[in-house]
Amino acid sequence: MNVTRDEAAQALDDISKASDRVVKLKGYHYGAPHFIVWGFVWLFANTITEFWPQYTQNAWISLLAVGMISSTVLGVLQRRNVKPGPAASVNARIGRRIGMTSGVMFAFIFCLMLIAQPETNREANAMISILFPFLYMCAGLWAGWRLFAIGFVTAAAILVGYYYVKDWFDLWMGVFAGGSLIAGGIWLRTA
Amino acid sequence: MDGPDEIIHQSTRLKIAATLNALPSGESLEFGKLKNMLGATDGNMATHLGALEKAGYIAVEKDFVGKKPRTRMSLTRAGRKAFHRHVAYLRDLLEGG
Repeated sequence: MNVTRDEAAQALDDISKASDRVVKLKGYHYGAPHFIVWGFVWLFANTITEFWPQYTQNAWISLLAVGMISSTVLGVLQRRNVKPGPAASVNARIGRRIGMTSGVMFAFIFCLMLIAQPETNREANAMISILFPFLYMCAGLWAGWRLFAIGFVTAAAILVGYYYVKDWFDLWMGVFAGGSLIAGGIWLRTA
Repeated sequence: MDGPDEIIHQSTRLKIAATLNALPSGESLEFGKLKNMLGATDGNMATHLGALEKAGYIAVEKDFVGKKPRTRMSLTRAGRKAFHRHVAYLRDLLEGG
């Protein structure tokens, strides 16, 4: 059997693409529970804000803490359960960087709130919330179109709610923005 | 330099081997997922999986999830070695000219 250099180059390219596909799918599976966790954080926090506004601050602080602890614990458990392989090392690096990126984004949000000084809770909620779907879209450009799609749908839900559902904005955010993260996480698991 | 592995070098079989090789150690992949990832047909997949299984390069497990049959594939140790040897051959061919 004779293999030409062109055939060898094509074969190595096919191998690389096959490996990249597996890395992407494993990345989706690792990311899925994190999307679901944060979807529920948004759902519960926004629902409490809508119906029990006197508990808004405590609810958001507590649920954000729950979200961060849950994501951290999930990340640790996922790293422990991962078996060696090309996808494992790539996704472990990506996972650490996502964790660090989230920390940077929370600091960014803090600074943004200081500078922009939103006048209403609706403005503050929308400003903070819409940042994350755009992050998912950026991540999706690198890591897979499903992430981009989840970010896009979530951002669209936030904008629709901000402009057209003003009176029930927090509930809208909980159900549709939080819901799109939950649905997105489930969708990632099926990849 | 060892020669090419004729079983693995075929395009679809190479992609199957590369995909299974990229999985974490000990993990397997379902037939349907592998087929979708490669964009292959059922018949095409069955032919090439059969060739790889006959060569001892992949292990095929069949079981049920509830009442639904499930077929999963993984690369055997021999398959992994053959794949890595073949990749080394391809790289040597490109580098050596």
